[in-house]
Amino acid sequence: MRHRWYIRLAIHAALVALAVPFLMPLVWMIGTSLKTDAQVFPKEVVTTVPQFLSQWWPNPFRWANYPEALRYVPFPIYLRNTLALCAANVLAAVASSALAAYAFAKLEWRGRTALFGIVLATMILPGEVRMIPTFALYRWLGWYGTYLPLIVPAFFGNAFFIFLLRQFFRTIPDDLCDAARIDGCSEWGILWRVVLPLSKPALATCALFQLLGTWNDFNGPLLYLNDQTQYTLAYGLQQFLGAYGGEWSKLMAAATVFTVPIIVLFFLAQRTFIQGISTTGMKG
Amino acid sequence: MIDEEKPISRRRKQILWIVRGIFIAAAAAGALWLFVGYQPPRHKVWPGREKVVFWHMWTSNWAEVVQNIVDRFNESQDRYEVVPLTVTGGSLKTLIATSGGAPPDCMAQWESVIPAWAERGALVPLDTLMPPDEWHALRDRLYTAVRDIGMYKGHFYGLSTGMNIWAVYYRPDHFREAGLDPDKFPRTLEDLDAAADKLFQYDSAGRITRIGFSPRWLVQYVAVFGGSLYDPATDRLTFTNPRNVEALEWITARADKYGFERILQFESGLSTTMQASWPFISGAFSMVLDGQWRVEQLAKFAPELEYRVAPIPPPKGGKPLACWSNGNFMIIPSGARHKEGAWAFMRFWSGVDKPERAAEFYTWGGWLPITPEVAAAPIYQAYCNKYPQFRTFLEVMASPNVQVTPPVPVQAYMMNRVGWAEDAALRKTLSPRQALQQAARETEREIENDRVGKE
Amino acid sequence: MARRNNLAGWLLVSPVVLGLVVFTLYPFVASLALSFCEYDIFTPPRWIGLWNYETMLSRDPLFWKSLGNVLYYTILAVPLGILFGVGLALLLDARIRGLAVYRTIFFLPSIVPVVATSVLWIWLLNPQIGLVNTLLRLVGIEGPTWLASVRWSKESLVFMGVWGVGGSMLIYLAGLKDIPASLYEAALVDGANAWQRVRYVTLPMLTPVIFFNLVMGMIGSFQYFTQAYVMTQGGPLDSTRFYALHLFYEAFQYLKMGYASALAWVLFLMVVAVTALLFRSQHKWVHYGR
Repeated sequence: MRHRWYIRLAIHAALVALAVPFLMPLVWMIGTSLKTDAQVFPKEVVTTVPQFLSQWWPNPFRWANYPEALRYVPFPIYLRNTLALCAANVLAAVASSALAAYAFAKLEWRGRTALFGIVLATMILPGEVRMIPTFALYRWLGWYGTYLPLIVPAFFGNAFFIFLLRQFFRTIPDDLCDAARIDGCSEWGILWRVVLPLSKPALATCALFQLLGTWNDFNGPLLYLNDQTQYTLAYGLQQFLGAYGGEWSKLMAAATVFTVPIIVLFFLAQRTFIQGISTTGMKG
Repeated sequence: MIDEEKPISRRRKQILWIVRGIFIAAAAAGALWLFVGYQPPRHKVWPGREKVVFWHMWTSNWAEVVQNIVDRFNESQDRYEVVPLTVTGGSLKTLIATSGGAPPDCMAQWESVIPAWAERGALVPLDTLMPPDEWHALRDRLYTAVRDIGMYKGHFYGLSTGMNIWAVYYRPDHFREAGLDPDKFPRTLEDLDAAADKLFQYDSAGRITRIGFSPRWLVQYVAVFGGSLYDPATDRLTFTNPRNVEALEWITARADKYGFERILQFESGLSTTMQASWPFISGAFSMVLDGQWRVEQLAKFAPELEYRVAPIPPPKGGKPLACWSNGNFMIIPSGARHKEGAWAFMRFWSGVDKPERAAEFYTWGGWLPITPEVAAAPIYQAYCNKYPQFRTFLEVMASPNVQVTPPVPVQAYMMNRVGWAEDAALRKTLSPRQALQQAARETEREIENDRVGKE
Repeated sequence: MARRNNLAGWLLVSPVVLGLVVFTLYPFVASLALSFCEYDIFTPPRWIGLWNYETMLSRDPLFWKSLGNVLYYTILAVPLGILFGVGLALLLDARIRGLAVYRTIFFLPSIVPVVATSVLWIWLLNPQIGLVNTLLRLVGIEGPTWLASVRWSKESLVFMGVWGVGGSMLIYLAGLKDIPASLYEAALVDGANAWQRVRYVTLPMLTPVIFFNLVMGMIGSFQYFTQAYVMTQGGPLDSTRFYALHLFYEAFQYLKMGYASALAWVLFLMVVAVTALLFRSQHKWVHYGR
C-alpha cells in the first residue's frame, strides 16, 4: 500500500532535512582529508553563505594526504589483524548470544530470572575498575601479549546481544514453537528452524554492532598487545594525534579509510535488515 | 508493515549479480594478498642480545625520530637491543602493566608521573644506578628545571630527553604598523600591556580580529611574577602567596579589558595545536606565548615569515627569564627486568654519556638539552645558527627562574584545581584570591585524605 | 505455553554461565573487595573498611557534582534518544524510494570513529566559525560558547548524543519489520487512519524494543565517558565532569583505585535499582506478541 503522493513528498522532505546534519560528519571528514593542513581551520568569521559553503570544499585538492597517511602506519598489517579479529568476534558473539537468548525467551527453567538479572548486571559495573583484576586474570592465564583476551570472551555470550535477542525472540508467537514441538522437534530444532529464520534483522543488527565494536576497539589492543605487528586499525588511527599537535588532514584521511569499508558493507547488507516476515501458518 | 520487496526486472537482477560477483572476487583477491602474500617491512633485529623494552608516546613523524635514535643505540654497543613501542593514550597501559607485573624496562612520558609514582615506590631511583661521584657531577650539571622535575624526596627518578620552554613570539611587521620598535621589545610586563593595547584590532561589529596579547595559563605567570605554588622548605602549599594572586589578578584584568567572552569567541575560531596553521602565522596574534617547538615548524611551514622571540618580561618585582617548564622524561619502573640496559639507553639518548654525540638527537626533535655541555656541542650550535630564535629559549633554559610543577604526590589533582581556579576567576565566579583559596583548600583536603587513608 | 525444560535451558546458557564464572566473577569480586581498601595500584591493597564510602559522602564535593552532571545528562539524553530513534524509524519504514541510502546516512554517525566525530563537533559548536552559531547568526542570534560555556556544555554533549541515534534506530527498524501485516490490515478494515495505526498498532507492538533501548540507554548514559574525556576533560568548571569521568581520573590519575572502586559500586547499585524498577514496570506497558 503506497501513500498518496503528497504524503510521500512530505516524508522525503522531512528525511532530506534530517539527513543533512547526519551526513555532515562524513562530508566534513572527507573534505578535510583532502585539504592542506593550513586550510582545515578557516581564517575569518563566516558571515555569508558563500563563505560558509567554501569552507567545505577543499581548495586545492590534496590527494597526497592519503598515501602519506597510509605510510605513517603499517596499514595492511593493521587491516589484516582487524579483519581477523572482527570475523572471529562476530561469529562467536552472535552464535553464543542467540543460544542463550532463546533459552531466556522461550523456555522455562529454574533460575532463569535470576540468571538473566545477573547477566544484565554485568553490563552495569563501569569497566575502569575491572581493568586491573581482568588484566591480572589474563596474565595468570598466560594470555597477556596474545590475541586471546580479545577473542575468547566473545564465545561466552554478550549481555547486550542476549538482552536484545531475548526481546525479539519473545515477540515470536509461542504457537509457532508449540506447533514445531508437537511435530517432534527438539529445542535446538525449534531454534534453528523456526526462531532464527524469523529473526534475521535482529541477528544482522547484532552482527553489525559487534563488527563495529571490534573494528573500533582501541582499549583491548592497547592493554593486551605488545607488538607493533599485532595492532589494529583503531589503534593506528590514534597514532595521528601526534605529540605536538594533530595533523588533522592526515587524521581525517586515515579516518575515512577506516570508515569507508563499514559504510560500504552496511549499504550492501541492507536487504538483511529490511527483510520482513514471510507469513506462514499462524499469522495472517 | 507490508513487505517491501518490489518486483525486480530480470535485467536488473543480472546486473546486481554481476556487481556482487565482482565485489566478491575483489574481496577474495584482497584477502588472499593480505593474509598470505603480504610481508610487512621489518626493522633491523639484533638476535642474541638482552632485550630492553621501551614504551614511548611519540607518534607519526616523531616515532621515526625515536626509531632512528634506537637504531643508533643498538649499533653503538653489542649487549642490549632496545625494542621501542608507541603507546598512546597516556600512561594507562604502563600503569596497568606495571601493576600486573609486566612493566616495560623504560618508558618516556609526557605527564610528570614522577612524584605520584615515586611516592609509591613504583620507580627505580636512577641515582642508585650510578656511582656516587658520577651522580653528584651530573646533578650539578643539569639545568635547574631538569633537576627539579626529575628529583623527588632526595632521589633522582626521571631523566629528560627534551625540555620545553615558553617565550613570547612576536610579529615585527605588526609592531612597525602600530608605531612600535620591534628591536626594542618591552622590558617590563607593564610595557607589554601597553604594546598589546596598540596591537588589538576589531571589525565593524566590534568583534576582535587581532589579539595583541592574551595571557592565559597561570603557572607561567606565577613564575614570571616571582610567586610559587609550593614551598619545599616547609612542605606546604602556597597558593595564596601574594605574588600568585597578583599574577591571577593581572590575567583577569587583561581579559576583562577586552571582554573574556569576546576573547574566547575569537580564540576558539583558531587552532592552537596545528602545526601548519598556527594562528600566529596568519596574523591572528601579534604576540603569543608558545614553546620552542614552533621554531622548527615555522621554518618548515612559513619560512618567509618574519618573527622574533623574547622571554616574558617581568613585572615590577618579578623575575626575568622566567617561565614554567616541562618535558618528556624517561623513567624505569620498579619491576623492570633490564634496569642496566634501560639506564644505558637513557644515558645514550640524553647525553649523560658523550654529550657531543647526543646533541644530534636533540636537533632531530627540536628539543632543548638537559645540560650546558649538550648545548655547547658543535652540532647543537650549528642547529642554533640555523634557527637563531632558538637561542632565546636556550637562554631561558639556563635561567634559575624556571619553575616546574611542585613535586607533591597529589600533583594531578592539584593542577586540575589550579586550572579550575583560573577559570573561576576569569568567569567571575570568584575573585582571584578566593579562587586560589578554594583551590588550596580542596588540594589540602586531598593531601589530608591521602595521608589519612594511608594510616 | 512455553514448556518447562530445565535441561535444555541450562544447556543452552552453559557457555554464558561458564564465561561469567571464568571471566567476570573474579573482576567483580575483586573490585568489590578493593572498594573497601586503599589501593594506589603499585603497592598492595590495604583494608580500610568503609573509609572510601564515608569520603564519598562527606569529603568529596566532586562526587555530588559528577553525580548531578550525569543525572542531568541522562534525563535529557535518554528520552530525546528514544523520541528521535522511534521517529526516524517510523519515517524510514514508509514505502518510499531510496530507503537504503537514507538508512545509511542516519547510521553514519555511529560508524565514524569517535576521534573524528569529536573533532567535528568541536568545530560545529565552535562559537566563532562553527556551523551552529553561523546559522544562528544568519537569523540574528549570537549563540553561546557551547562547549566552553558552563551553562551549555552539557546540552552540547546531549546534541551530540542524540545525533548518534542511528544505532537504536536500526533496532527499532528491525522491530518494525516484525510487526505482522495482518494487524495493520485489521486496523485498516476498522477504518483507522495513519496516526491511529501508529498509536494503536505500531507503538504497542514496538514496546519490547523501546523497553530494550530505554534500559540500555539508561545504563549507557550513566556511564557516559568518552566524549567528555576527549573533548572537554570535565570542564569548564567541572560542568562536564561526569560520574564515569570522575571515576577514571580518581583511578588512573590520582591513583586512588580503591576509592574509584567504591564509586563504581555505588553507581552499580543505583543503576541496578533503576533497572529493576523499569523491569517491574514492564507489565504495565510492554506487550510481547502472542
